[in-house]
Amino acid sequence: MKPILQIQGVSKNFGGLRALQDISFDINQNEIIGLIGPNGAGKTTLFNCVAGIERPSSGKILFTVNGNPVAIGGKKPEKVTALGIARTFQNIRLFDNLKVLDNVKIGRHCRFKSNVFGAAFKTPSQRREEEEIAASAEEILEFVGLRGRGEEIASSMAYGDQRRLEIARALATDPKLLMLDEPAAGMNPQEARSLMDLIHRIRDKGITVLLIEHDMKVVMGICERVVVINYGRMLMTGLPREVQGDPRVIEAYLGTGAFNAAEA
Amino acid sequence: MFTQQLVNGLTIGGIYALIAVGYTMVYGVIQLINFAHGEVYMLGAFFAATFIMVMGMPFYMAFILAMACGAICGMLLDVIAYRPLRRSPRLACLITAIGMSIFLQNLAMLIWGSRPKPFPSQSLPEWFNTTWVFSHFRLTGFHLFVFGVTIIMMVGLNLLIKKTRFGKAMRAVAQNKTMAALAGINVNKVITLTFAVAGSMGAAAGLLVGAYYNSLYPTMGYVAGVKAFAAAVLGGIGSVPGAMLGGIVLGVAEAMGAGYLSSLYRDGISYGVMILVIVFIPAGFFGVVIKETKKSI
Amino acid sequence: MDQKISNSSKLKIALLILALVLPAFPFVSQHMLHIIILIYLYMILALGLNIIPGFNGLLDLGFVGFYGIGAYTSGLLTYHFGMSYWMIMPLAFLNGALWGVLLGAPTLRLTGDYFAIVTFGFSELVVLFLTNEIWLTRGPLGLPGILPPSIDLSWFGGPVWEFQGELPYYYLAIVMVLGTVFVMHRIQDSRLGRAWFAIRDDEVAAVSCGINLLVYKVIAFGTSAAFGALGGSFFARWVTFLSPDMFKFWESFLVLCMVVLGGMGNIWGVMVGAAVLVSLSEVLREVLSAVGLPVEIRFLAFGLIMVLVMRYRPAGLMPIPAVAAQMRAGRVKRKKVKTAVS
Repeated sequence: MKPILQIQGVSKNFGGLRALQDISFDINQNEIIGLIGPNGAGKTTLFNCVAGIERPSSGKILFTVNGNPVAIGGKKPEKVTALGIARTFQNIRLFDNLKVLDNVKIGRHCRFKSNVFGAAFKTPSQRREEEEIAASAEEILEFVGLRGRGEEIASSMAYGDQRRLEIARALATDPKLLMLDEPAAGMNPQEARSLMDLIHRIRDKGITVLLIEHDMKVVMGICERVVVINYGRMLMTGLPREVQGDPRVIEAYLGTGAFNAAEA
Repeated sequence: MFTQQLVNGLTIGGIYALIAVGYTMVYGVIQLINFAHGEVYMLGAFFAATFIMVMGMPFYMAFILAMACGAICGMLLDVIAYRPLRRSPRLACLITAIGMSIFLQNLAMLIWGSRPKPFPSQSLPEWFNTTWVFSHFRLTGFHLFVFGVTIIMMVGLNLLIKKTRFGKAMRAVAQNKTMAALAGINVNKVITLTFAVAGSMGAAAGLLVGAYYNSLYPTMGYVAGVKAFAAAVLGGIGSVPGAMLGGIVLGVAEAMGAGYLSSLYRDGISYGVMILVIVFIPAGFFGVVIKETKKSI
Repeated sequence: MDQKISNSSKLKIALLILALVLPAFPFVSQHMLHIIILIYLYMILALGLNIIPGFNGLLDLGFVGFYGIGAYTSGLLTYHFGMSYWMIMPLAFLNGALWGVLLGAPTLRLTGDYFAIVTFGFSELVVLFLTNEIWLTRGPLGLPGILPPSIDLSWFGGPVWEFQGELPYYYLAIVMVLGTVFVMHRIQDSRLGRAWFAIRDDEVAAVSCGINLLVYKVIAFGTSAAFGALGGSFFARWVTFLSPDMFKFWESFLVLCMVVLGGMGNIWGVMVGAAVLVSLSEVLREVLSAVGLPVEIRFLAFGLIMVLVMRYRPAGLMPIPAVAAQMRAGRVKRKKVKTAVS
């Protein structure tokens, strides 16, 4: 089976700053893969390149749609979403002032197509669509554990719930690949555990998950494979165990000599 | 005719430049289109005329005092209208700016009446009327005065921005308000002073235009304001040299357009230039492209 | 949700019934009817404009441009071709939408303040065009003698009613307001409306949900323009005289003020805003002319209202929670913009 996402030699420069240099790795269908690295390593930049928010300076990003790889580097974010890549943001970006249910309904946007006239005259097809959107949005809320909270205002929810809602909104776009940017940040251990459970259930629906995460418990607990980047370069890929013990990774996180100190 | 239109264009363009720097400086520090800036310009003209007619002041003194009043108006505008909204969304600030613009316009109408008034031209110094006739054009003392004032102010403003502590503080605030505040700069004070500088130059421009066309009316700020804004955009919003150049280019384009195309669309040329620039080269001559999306993730 | 009619719906129905029977009261003069029709007209305009600042969070300073386009479309088609108003209405609507799209498509990718100033420039250009293209519009002389609408049933052997007095216009205006409210309501609860609200709230999040910002903003601008033109088409056939200076910036400002005062994004709010400001405007007009001041000065009050509303109640008299939260000071996700004084 083809990898769902192939990142081939991607670089990104911001003026003189080389945020990413020659990053290459594949993501297989239906795996949970972690992207780790110290702060400022370029993880979010890589996300943005895949999601279409940034255009890679060079290199290719191929996303497999119905068995065919499609080049998505430089495509507009709304196109990328329509192809089946959804994401969450490091600093939660909900539609703060809208209702929880509307947040999820907006996520459904790209899978429907009613237009101005449909909206104005409420044609039968439009009505059917609205019912479908409402039903699927409720279903997704239930799936992430926010059942019955649709009428609340997004920004009034607790932090952990906002994270869940953001995942719900991403799931609403029917993604094949879900990219989570530090989903466990700011969560207590119990919330983190239920998040891990949620990610497993998402994968069980056949969705591939790529996550940036600093919480090593989460990374070790659910990732099947881990990609490590540092200073915008690939450091290694491997199984969580391999990565955890690798001197280069420890050095990247803790500085030169840290490995020796850890050994001693 | 070409040379004459060029002279006229440079004269009026210099005045646009004086107003345009006001827009650009304010935009630079707080990212607000200060729609009411055109009204400060209008008030400058009316203040000067009032000083001359009611108080019998000599022209130069009225000029200086009008500039001082313009500075005060600018500061009041900021303190009363904009400062309370520093942390509000842009839409709120823009709506306030529009509201202030309309308010001041009508206040002027209430005070001075809505009909155009002549500028007290008898107060203008003698040498303004001296005319030199060249082979292709005529030049008056008034032209020279406008050029002189424009050049002095532009040079002065550049020195102010580049050489003084205030200029440094202003650039710092424009770059990053939080960091500027951490570095011990009183951000609000710098912003208010920026409004003062902008207001004084706007008032000077208003006085010059009033005297040049010999006509003052409460809505004069509205057209001039948009034109000057167009000049600021043309130069690249946020860039002071850009605003100067933009003003002059726009003034010349307008004079040429009015001379060769159609004088009916004199104002239309500015609007047209502005729309085209915004659509095709939003960064203007010296500016930075402003994108709101794709940022800050 | 439940089948019971809520109090606010009861109020709305009561107001509608009142509006329908109002002309029957003896104390309602032709002049009063005229002013109430003016209120209805401004309700349509305010509802149309509301799409831009209220639903999309953008500032539109050129709304009167579309109003003028609609009015002149209506006036000229009547003047030159004697077309029936019932044909003109949809044509004016579409013409407004067309110009909205033509202006919006290249300019809506810009930041909000650039867009605002472009709309302003556009509406001024419309006025200049109407003033200077005398061959088409008769310029400052104005376009007189536009026929009032009529209901022609002669096809079915019925009579032909030509609109006379204010009464038929009164009911036509009510129908148009109801139609507009109906459409706005529908849009608000649709996929389209949600996309707009998403854009208003957070553009980056909106694109990541697959919303094409430009497309949806252009749709918004076209729709808004179309309702402006619809109002204009009615205006032309109602006052039966047009001149370019009816479409100056003041009008845009007045309509914006209605939206801001009533509550951006709130359909009922902006209608209340229209009613309040038209009434205030008429009262001030009487007062000012009685004391011998130019009537334009009433805009002093409108300017002040706008500043005060933004300062103390930025979501208007009838705020909707989503806008209120967004307009509240200090809670802004203000996007960083790179500019520098150099």
